[in-house]
Amino acid sequence: MHPHGRRFFALALGVAALTAACKKDAPPPQDQAAAPGAAAPAFTVSAVELGSRVGPDKRVTAATTSFTPRDTIYVSVATEGSAPSTTLSARWTYEDGQVVQADSQTIAPTGPATTEFHIAKPSGWPAGKYKVEVAVDGRPVETRDFEVKR
Amino acid sequence: MPDPKKPKADFSDVESGSSSTAPEAPPPAAERTYTVVKGDSLSKIAKRYYGDAQQWRRIYEANRDQIKDPDLIHPGQTFRIPD
Repeated sequence: MHPHGRRFFALALGVAALTAACKKDAPPPQDQAAAPGAAAPAFTVSAVELGSRVGPDKRVTAATTSFTPRDTIYVSVATEGSAPSTTLSARWTYEDGQVVQADSQTIAPTGPATTEFHIAKPSGWPAGKYKVEVAVDGRPVETRDFEVKR
Repeated sequence: MPDPKKPKADFSDVESGSSSTAPEAPPPAAERTYTVVKGDSLSKIAKRYYGDAQQWRRIYEANRDQIKDPDLIHPGQTFRIPD
């Protein structure tokens, strides 16, 4: 081989080796889990809070588990995930087992959301212990106890 | 344990409500039905709902529980009309 040819050959080998090394150090492909079209997170209840007032965002602004007979009683249910249609329900019971009220709200969340349920009794709540059970599609997920005191 | 002598609490005037930051789910599509009248045939009903008499089989398949013979339907029968 001509000396220039040998030099060229050696240079070419060096370039090829460098290219291979660069390829080896190339960053891995993007995380596929974050790719558009990935499955949406499952719908879950993330928090349940009782209180006597809620804000426009449906979150409790005055959290308590002890109410007066004239209070409106709120339960705020924070959820995450999406669902084409899911039914949240709140079932309120008194200490003797009587069902005070049961309500439901069918929603189509596309991400974090908050749903509030409330009950009021113009003639005043009887004093005693109460419970609210929150369910998703009829399946109980959380319960909270509270009390009405005179 | 509740006191059996205590009068039962009255919750008849309880007011309630609910609201959410999430959009409300659309109500499930109401199922369409059709009650057969004299002179009807499955083809006629298919023409009425689908604009194509050849679609009669869709109605037949959706109502197999009450249609024994697709050429024999009776006034007063109520059929489900699939979308």
